[in-house]
Amino acid sequence: MVPVTYYVALSAVLFVIGVLGVLLRRNALIIFMSVELMLNSANLVFVAFARLFEGLAGQVFVFFVMTVAAAEVAVGLALIVAIFRSKRSVDVDQMSSLKG
Amino acid sequence: MTQADLYTLLPLIVLVIWACALLLVDLLIPRGRKGITAFLAALGLALTLGLTLAQVSAAGTAFQGMVVLDGFARFVNALLALTGLLGVGLAYGYVRRMGIERGEYYTLLLFSVAGMMLMAQAADLIVVFLALELLSIPLYILAAFARPKETSEEAGLKYFLLGAFATGFVVYGIALTFGATGTTSLSGIIAAASNGDAGLLLTIGAALILVGFGFKVAVVPFHMWTPDVYQGAPSAVTAFMAAGAKIAGFAALLRVFGLAFSSLSADLTAILWTLSALTMIVGNILAIAQTNIKRLLAYSSIAHAGYILMAFVPFGNAEVLPVSVAAGVFYLVAYTLTNFGAWAVVIALEKAEGRGLDLDDYAGLGRKYPALAAAMTVFMLSLTGVPPTLGLVGKFYLFRAVIAGGFYGLAVIGVLTSLISAYYYLRVVVIMYMREGEPERVSEPWLNLTWAASALAVVLISLVPAPLFAWASQAVFALF
Amino acid sequence: MTPLQLVFLLTAALTLVAAFRVVTTRNLVHAALWLVVTLFGVAVLFVLLNAPFLAVVQVVVYIGAIAVLFIFAIMLTRREMRDQGAQLNKGWWAAALVSLLTFGGLFWLTRSWDGFTRTAAPLPTGQDTLSALGKALVSPDAFVLPFEIASVLLLAALVGAVYVAYREK
Repeated sequence: MVPVTYYVALSAVLFVIGVLGVLLRRNALIIFMSVELMLNSANLVFVAFARLFEGLAGQVFVFFVMTVAAAEVAVGLALIVAIFRSKRSVDVDQMSSLKG
Repeated sequence: MTQADLYTLLPLIVLVIWACALLLVDLLIPRGRKGITAFLAALGLALTLGLTLAQVSAAGTAFQGMVVLDGFARFVNALLALTGLLGVGLAYGYVRRMGIERGEYYTLLLFSVAGMMLMAQAADLIVVFLALELLSIPLYILAAFARPKETSEEAGLKYFLLGAFATGFVVYGIALTFGATGTTSLSGIIAAASNGDAGLLLTIGAALILVGFGFKVAVVPFHMWTPDVYQGAPSAVTAFMAAGAKIAGFAALLRVFGLAFSSLSADLTAILWTLSALTMIVGNILAIAQTNIKRLLAYSSIAHAGYILMAFVPFGNAEVLPVSVAAGVFYLVAYTLTNFGAWAVVIALEKAEGRGLDLDDYAGLGRKYPALAAAMTVFMLSLTGVPPTLGLVGKFYLFRAVIAGGFYGLAVIGVLTSLISAYYYLRVVVIMYMREGEPERVSEPWLNLTWAASALAVVLISLVPAPLFAWASQAVFALF
Repeated sequence: MTPLQLVFLLTAALTLVAAFRVVTTRNLVHAALWLVVTLFGVAVLFVLLNAPFLAVVQVVVYIGAIAVLFIFAIMLTRREMRDQGAQLNKGWWAAALVSLLTFGGLFWLTRSWDGFTRTAAPLPTGQDTLSALGKALVSPDAFVLPFEIASVLLLAALVGAVYVAYREK
């Protein structure tokens, strides 16, 4: 058997890669993909612990996270495509029409 | 599922069904008459408010402990329904003037209010998570509602990316909490934490959840894009967002931190202390340099998140916490009224294409429109915390509670930053009265009602604050 | 090393490499394809963790819908496909520091938490997790409330996405 530790460690690394992507990259699409990595790492932890605790709650939570991810993708990509139409760019550092 | 279960969520269920029905009814309403949709949305919110106030029952959980109905939930839900009503009132004329009058605006606003109300009633991390998303996703859209205007789209996208990032932290934090305790129910977490077998994993989970909420309620250092979002979003949306998201975030912090994670206070009190202090300092200092009124109010909103966060700093002290949370709830009421009033004045002076938003555009307001200028003065004084306004009373209760908890340093920082904030709030007043100018305002019945009623409430309640504070205390004390 | 452990190690390595490529590659289409690989790796891990249904949902929803939507969005914003400009934003050093600290914290955590010594219970035999999961989702005694909230959430997202993406004539 593979101990649960390994799965949690793996998910921690995946989570950090996602955080890194969000904080480092400038392209809105890549940032959003990195967020998906973060959500996936959380799902992995949930399933791993669901395996440990033998309950359904963990798996059900993953189901809802996926639902939310789908909803977020619909909204987020609509926003990204809309902003590309008006600015011809999806670089968040170039989004500076708002400055104080 | 019994009738009791449904009764627990009755106002929320009515609101959601109303929102869905509104989506369909809106199709029958001709393009130029979307004001009817606004009235219907307001009617739904008024009904929700009435049902919330009429809900009488002892505290109890429903749906297998997923949601709870108690005094706190009823108080916060009533405040949220009021927030929604004020949000509709501000939007009614504004969206028409800005050419973004669409029925979806009101549907999304109702969905967002539903998410906020659910947050106040959540007793399980699954519900906390879904409520957080239900309130956020409509807000992303509302921020971008003036598309294809670039500033609005940019605000929507930035708010979305920030929110999605925050969601990542919240979900991972919940996952670790689940791993530490084997449950997502808040009462289960309390039980597991008091057994002492949760350990470090729970602490890290709680910290990650705190980071996520920090992004959502715009606490320094998680505030990066908030000013951009507040500035770029349509003003009516910003007003709703600033108040609603704070109330819901506060409710979530109370449920998750005040109750479930109270055993972690040894580790987290210092973090909350730092976040609160940083938010007050940075928010107020950055506000000084602003010349755009929307951006100024955005930084002011960040600073106020810091004051509200103060209420949670004593969260490990079971004697002080009820008092400080009651003070926090009272402060939220004060902030909500003041915030909507101030934004109503901003909207009254805002022109198309983002003009009329510079502080210089407020010159001469005192001479030309004395009533409007007087109302704005009241709001600025209230945000600063000067008598005779609700803001002062709120700060007084808050600082008193924090001092009772032994956090003198935090109270001192609160007072000092309030002094700093006087500089930029009073500058608005000075510009209004001391400088010559020819401002043009918009006069719409609902808008006028919003600022006039808010100004009256801010002054009058401050003269007799005790009943409201007693109500807030009663709502909160039952929790502990 | 048992075959199961070997499968785990290979999948884990593949998932991490793919995830790393997602956040480092310049080409947006490549990033999306690496994302698909990552998502598939996670699906395999779900199978190893005795959650076959979630593995299927992962493939159908994440790869079938989400990743494909990403590719659509890349095509629609295709000027950006070969992004030659600076890839890192201005605050990259602070970001790297924060990420390293997060990693350090989580690493320290996985080393010091004693809960990991608990071994996973043996695979339950004859228990139909899929039907249990299905019943739990709609049962009033279990998760019907979150299920309903999720459906309201999807409706709100749908309305919003249509509004934002709709181009008025």
